[in-house]
Order: sequence, then C-alpha cells, then structure tokens
Amino acid sequence: MAATEPKGHGHHAGMWVFPDASAMSQDVSAKTLSMPKPFTLALMVTGALFILGIVGFIGRAATDGFDEMAPWGYYMAIFSWIFMISSAAPLAAVAFRFTKSHWRRPLSRVAELFAVVGILNLLMFIPMMFLLPGLGNPGGVVEGQLELRRTIWFEGPIGAPHAWDVLAVASLAVTSMVILLLSAMPDMAESRGTATGFRGWVYNRIAGGWYGTKRQWNAQKAGLALLGAFYFMMIIFVHFVISSEYAQSLIPGWKDSIFPVIYSVTSIQMGLGTCLIVLFIMRRWGGYEGYVGKSTFWSASKVMLGVTLLWAYHLFAFFITFWYGRLEVEQNIIKYLIVESYGIIFLLNLVFSFIAPFVLLIWNPVRRSAWGPALAGLFAIFGGLMFSIRIFVGSANAAKGDEIYAFFLEHVPAPAYPDVWDVFMVIGGIGAAAFVYLASTKLFPLLSLWEVKEGTLYQKWRKFIRGEYLVLGKPE
Amino acid sequence: MQEGTPLQSRQINRELLVSILNSPKWFWMAVGILGLIVLFAMGTAGLMINKGMGVTGLNRPVMWGFFITNFVFWIGISHAGVMLSAILRLSKAEWRRPATRAAEILTVFSLMTAMMMPLIHTGRPWRLVYWIYTVPFVPYDYARGIWPNVRSPLVWDPSAVYTYLTSSILFVIIALIPDFAVLRDRTTGISNKIYGMLAMGWQGNPRQWKLQIIAGVLLSALILPVFVSVHSIVSWDFGMAVSVKSWHSTIFAPYFVVGAVHSGVSAVAFVLIILRYIYGWQNYIRHEHIDALARLLIVVATGWFYFLVMEIVFGFYGREADEIAVRNLQFMITPWNIWMMIFVGVTYFLPVAIWLSRSARRNLWIMSLACISVNVGMWLERFLIIVPGLARKQLLTFDWYTYTPSAVEWIIVGATFAMVSMLMLVIARVVPLIPLYDIKEGEILRTEIKIGRVSVPATFRED
Repeated sequence: MAATEPKGHGHHAGMWVFPDASAMSQDVSAKTLSMPKPFTLALMVTGALFILGIVGFIGRAATDGFDEMAPWGYYMAIFSWIFMISSAAPLAAVAFRFTKSHWRRPLSRVAELFAVVGILNLLMFIPMMFLLPGLGNPGGVVEGQLELRRTIWFEGPIGAPHAWDVLAVASLAVTSMVILLLSAMPDMAESRGTATGFRGWVYNRIAGGWYGTKRQWNAQKAGLALLGAFYFMMIIFVHFVISSEYAQSLIPGWKDSIFPVIYSVTSIQMGLGTCLIVLFIMRRWGGYEGYVGKSTFWSASKVMLGVTLLWAYHLFAFFITFWYGRLEVEQNIIKYLIVESYGIIFLLNLVFSFIAPFVLLIWNPVRRSAWGPALAGLFAIFGGLMFSIRIFVGSANAAKGDEIYAFFLEHVPAPAYPDVWDVFMVIGGIGAAAFVYLASTKLFPLLSLWEVKEGTLYQKWRKFIRGEYLVLGKPE
Repeated sequence: MQEGTPLQSRQINRELLVSILNSPKWFWMAVGILGLIVLFAMGTAGLMINKGMGVTGLNRPVMWGFFITNFVFWIGISHAGVMLSAILRLSKAEWRRPATRAAEILTVFSLMTAMMMPLIHTGRPWRLVYWIYTVPFVPYDYARGIWPNVRSPLVWDPSAVYTYLTSSILFVIIALIPDFAVLRDRTTGISNKIYGMLAMGWQGNPRQWKLQIIAGVLLSALILPVFVSVHSIVSWDFGMAVSVKSWHSTIFAPYFVVGAVHSGVSAVAFVLIILRYIYGWQNYIRHEHIDALARLLIVVATGWFYFLVMEIVFGFYGREADEIAVRNLQFMITPWNIWMMIFVGVTYFLPVAIWLSRSARRNLWIMSLACISVNVGMWLERFLIIVPGLARKQLLTFDWYTYTPSAVEWIIVGATFAMVSMLMLVIARVVPLIPLYDIKEGEILRTEIKIGRVSVPATFRED
C-alpha cells in the first residue's frame, strides 16, 4: 500500500489520505493488470446480460420492426438511462477540475472512463434514428393536424431531425473520448515501457510522444480546460436535443421549457451517483482505500445533496405551472406522466430521485461515510431509471400513427407495460454498460495518477496551535 | 488565492472601523443629496396617490409597467446576500470573507425597496390590507364580494418576501454580534450603550464563538429554501397567468432565480469596488476578490443565458398565434427589438467577454462597467418580459396597445436607486461593512505550502 494512515480528528477522523507518490504508479499499474476472481465473475455476469440484451433487441426487431415507435419505448428508456449516466459522469471530472477542488482527484478518471460507455451509447443510438418520425405530416395539410410536427428544429434545416441528432450525440461521445485520452496520456506514458500486447500498442499509440516536458504539461492542461468548456456546452445542448426529440416532440402539445433542464439535472445526479458507487467499490474491494479518502465522499455528497434538491425544485416548477394553469392539454400531460398512467412509476421516481437521497444525505455522519453517498447514488440511478421509463416509454406510446401531428393530447393514454423483449433489453442495457465499463478499467488505470500525485503536493497535514490540521494549497 | 500582506488584528480594527469612527467630510453631503432625491420622489408618489394612476403611463391592457419591473429588479438584487454569504460560507470559499456583510445588507435594503413598489403601484396603498390579509380590526369590504385569495401567487409573494426579509435581518444581526462587541469596546456615551445592547453580552469566549458559528451555518442552510422560494414565487406572479401567453412558462422560476443571482452578485461586486474606493479598503477588497466574483459570474451568467434561450425557444416551439404575437413584438418591431438586442448584449455578451480576460477582471474600472452593464440589462429583461406580454395579451388586434412610462414613474423608479445608495451609506456609518471577525479568522488560517522553489498560498481547513 502506497499510502500513510488516514488523517483527521473529531468528527473527521480518518477523512484524508496522503498517498505516497513514489510508489503509486507501480501499485496502481499492478491493480490495473490484475484479474481477481470477483472481477472476472462480474465481467462474466455483465457479459451474459449484455448478450441477453442483444437477444431482446433482435426479438423486438423481429417482432415489430422499426416502423412504429411505440414497441421501442423501453429501448429508448434504457438508451436514455445509459446516456444520462455516460454523458454526465465525465462532467464530474470536468467541472471539479475547473473549480480546482482537490477532493476530485481520485474521482476524475472514474468519471472520465464513462466516455467508453458513451461509445456503446452511440451504437445504441443508431436504431433510434430509424424510429424517429420525420418533421412533415405525410398526409400533408390535414384538418385538425399540424403540417409540421412541433420540434426544436421548427421548419427544419436540411437533414433535420435525424442528421443533426446523430451529429449531436456523436460529437458528445467523441469529445468525452478525447478528454479521456488526453487526461490518461501522462499515465499511459508511465507504463508504455512495461505494457505488452494490446495494452502496450494502445499506450504507445496514444502516449508515445509524451515525455512530460513543461510545454507538454501546459498544452495538456490547456487542452483539458478548453475541451472541458466545450464538453460542458455540448452536454447541455445534446441533453436539450434528446429530451426534446425523443420525449417532448412525441407528445402532442407538450410545451415545457424546463424539461431539458430537469433532464440535465437528473443526468448529473445519476452521473455523480454512479461515480460514487464506483469509488465505493474501489475503496471497499479494489484495494484503493489508500488513494480514495472519505473526504472525496464528504465533498461529493454535498454536491449530490444540492443536485437532489435542484431536481425536486425543477420538478415542482414544472408541476405547479401546469397544475395551476388548468389548460386541458397540460392537465392531460400531468395525468399521463405523473398522476394516472405512470403514477406508480412517478412515485418511484420521486422517492428514489429525491426523497430517499435527500433523507439520507442531510445527515452529517452519512455524508462523512463512504457507504452513505454511494447508497444515495444507487437510489439516484434507480430513480433515474424510473424517470427514463416514465418519460420515454410514455412519449413513445402517447400518440399512435398520425396522432403525433395532432395539435394537443386530447386524452390520457394508457400506460405501456413491458413484455419479455423489453425486460431483456432493459436488463441487457444495464449489463452492457457495466460490462463495457469494467472492461475499460483493464485498459486505463482507474486512478488518475498524475492528478493524485499533483494533489499530494497541495495537501499537507500540519501542526496548527494545539492540533494538527489539513492545509490546502491553492495555486491561484 | 491569497494576495496582499498579512494583516494584524489591530490594523484590521483600525482600518475597517474607519467608516464608523471617522466619517469623511463628503459623507453628510452625499447623504443629504440622496435624501433630497428620495424626498422629491416621495412627493411625486404623493401626487400620484392624490391625482390617481392617470398620471402614470399605465393603461389597458398594460397595467404593469415600471413599478412592477422595478419591484422584480430589486427582489433580484436581494439575491446576492444569500448567494454570497450563505452558499459561499457553506462551500467554505475563502474569498467570500470581505463580500458577505455588504451583500447581506444590500439584500435587506433592496428587499425593503422592492416591497415599496407594489404598494406604490396599487395607487391606494392603504387598501393593500384588503388585498392580502383580513385583519380583525380592519373593516373588510365584503359588500363588493372581493375576498383575499390564498391560492393566488400575489398572496404567496408578500409572504415569501417578508419571510426572506425577516430571515435576512436575522442573518445580518447574528453575523454582526462579534463586531458590535468590538464597537462597544471602542465607543463612549450613548453609542457605547447601544452597541453594548446589540452585542448582547458578547465576550468572545469559546462557547459564544461555537454558538455563533453554529447559528451562522444553520441560518445559512435554513435561508437557502427561502432564497429560492422568493424569486420563484415572484416568477409565478407571471407564470401562473395563462392569459398572458409568453408568461406561462415552466422555466420561469429557475430563470428568475438565476437572473436574480446574476444581477445581485454584479451589484455586490460594484458596491465592493465603491467601498474600496471611498474608504480606502485596498487591503481587504483586493483584486483577487473581484476576480473571484467575476469568475463566479461567468458561470452564473452562462446558466442564466441557457435559461433565456430555453425560454425563447419554447416560446416559439408551440407555434401558437397569441404567443407568436408577443415574440413578434419583442424581436421584430422597433423599438422593442432594439431594446431586446441591447438587453442580451449588455446582460451577457459584453460582461462575459470582459470577464473572460484576467486583466479585465482585475481592472476595477472595467469591472464596474461590466457590473453596471449587467444590471441595466437585468432591469431591461424584466421590462421586456412584462410589457410586451401585456401589450399583446388580448386575442384581437384592436385591443393591442403599448406603454410609455410617464415622468412620475421615471422619478419614483430613479429615486429607488438613490434610496438604496443612501441607506448603504448610512449603514456604513453604523456597522462595519466588512466583517472584522471574518477577516481576522481568514488571516489566522492563511499559510503557505512550499512546492519546489515556489510558495503556494494555502489555508488551514478543519473539514
């Protein structure tokens, strides 16, 4: 173990770790190469689920084809769920790097690695392109219907909506991948001499020219900052696109300016929550307890609590405006997505996205633990799954055929229950995402070595008056 | 994040109490001039009450104009206090220290000013009591069949604002207790008695400090929901009105809150620059603090801009004729479209372009310009939400109308700025606008870390 005993006092006993920078690379490299039994088992189980998902997908395609959107509601939901996690998790690395928070250092790579899951997501997006109806009403100008569907593309630039949607999702996936590679470059350079096989080939390809000169470090940091800013803007835009295209535009008359924000907030909550779960597993079973202090959970949980409150606030802002407005279409949408058709799913969504994490995280001892924030993260991702099902299954099944071109939702549609293919796809999607993530941890070190090493320079444990306290250096 | 030289406790007391113990010569003249402006506006308001609302530019269908715009604007400014004080305190941002007190006090005065605006807007302020509460000793005019509607956002609004005002005053007073004790020990006569009473027996023992810190943290956490609710409810004054199409938008609540933080923090940055200049507080309000505020503002402004874009996109999204009419007025018809361009330019593009440059962030003149620019823009934002929506409220075009503010409205609205400035000056004479104990704590905790040949500023942290 390349670390000292955790430090801290009083309520914060054992909160901070001070890893030994000199032994860190070797230790983490060994961990990356090792294949312990539980890990292999997890890889096999998630791989099996992945195959189950593919079976579900083929079954659904063979049964229903790609002409109608309604049978694919659960596929859209699991796509969205994985997308929300894989797109928002890298944001945790980007955002806290911007704020120069030292506690983020062990979390950065865990978050960035979700870029690999983003590639899976991109593949999953291909069938969804075939499902999305065009802008124009194939019936032309029809009494009681719109000539053009309400979408964010309005009259539609060339290629709208399909080409632009693909471009948006692909750009996000590529950007997050570039961030991962750029960030991992110094770590890969350290191991390129010893790595063999595919790993050695990748390391040499990506980090072959890295020698850690001052110029290279400056370029890497500037690149990460610029890409981070771009990623931040892209993620907000792509969330806006996905939430509008595959949810709002499919329910006639649903005009809700806060929905893209709710989507982004849910996504951020899930992304951070998932990172906390991974960190907890690393600490508990992965042998990383010397690198991941409780301080990371303590600080991240405060952000998590804030995001949880924001989720509830945005949902309430949506609900009160629709509820108070008393417009027929808005009442129907509330009945459909919140009160009647998907009422139970909404309740689960509310409990697991807000009530459970909130009740858990308001307690200081829970926030100071490693299990508490991870459990809150688990709640959040389950709540997010309910959110995705409620919204995307609901949207796919709200209007059948050319009803999608209607002015308003004039009735409250019935809920769509999953069949066996849907269950396979949902479980398989979760398994696929986990499988890809687990596999990627054998290629990239799960700890951002250069960031953690840098952190050891800025965090010290020093005597102050009658006790010993943490000293945090802020370079600017 | 620490520049400047280390400060001794005595020096901090001496320099930060200068506004109280040694008033500059210009002080009373400035207060007098501002007071005259306020008096003139009060006279104008009296004239308006006497003559009726006909002296304003308000007319059907635009019955909300300058006064309500100004109300929303000042509510917005009040959001700086909690943003800077509570949130930054909870997040333990070291650079918050010199900014908190001025922000909290600006919150209190802007809330008081904001609450005057609907009173003036009613035209008959004494009837407000019928509008909100049925008080047992006030004869309620049941004969007209008008009842207070507790389900109306217009009732939630004053309730939220008064709650915020009460909690903000409490917040300021709790934070002031140790500083009142310092003043008690440095004054004589009646001042000594008053400060002694306000210091509530403060001796600075460990138990008192512990209680004061706990109270500060608890209040910070408790005031947050109030802070969010206030501007959300103000936004629902508009958002719940289905009849005005461009107002019925689900994003209004967070859009208003973020906008409020944007204008409020900008206002605080401007106030800090003024304080630094007039009281010579260069050792306390340093370039690094203004720089940090500007960097925070980039994030806040960008968040606000995102909400603005969502609001506009979804305004067009529905393609409903009555909403398009409002958007047409905002974006296509002169002078509204010019105001719209100015509004977006001065609220987002100009200031953010300035804040992206480190040297601009550290130039106080440029920063003042950027902060004023934001607030001009944010005032315009509220105006451009309220008036075009009402001007195109009716379905039939012959019911459309516009609005031109009268001199009476200009005077009253203009005087609110004089009033807040005057109140800030007066309070600077009574309480230290930079918290003494907070600065001293920051000085105790500051240290350095040596990395190679470089010394990096650092802080001791308990958690």
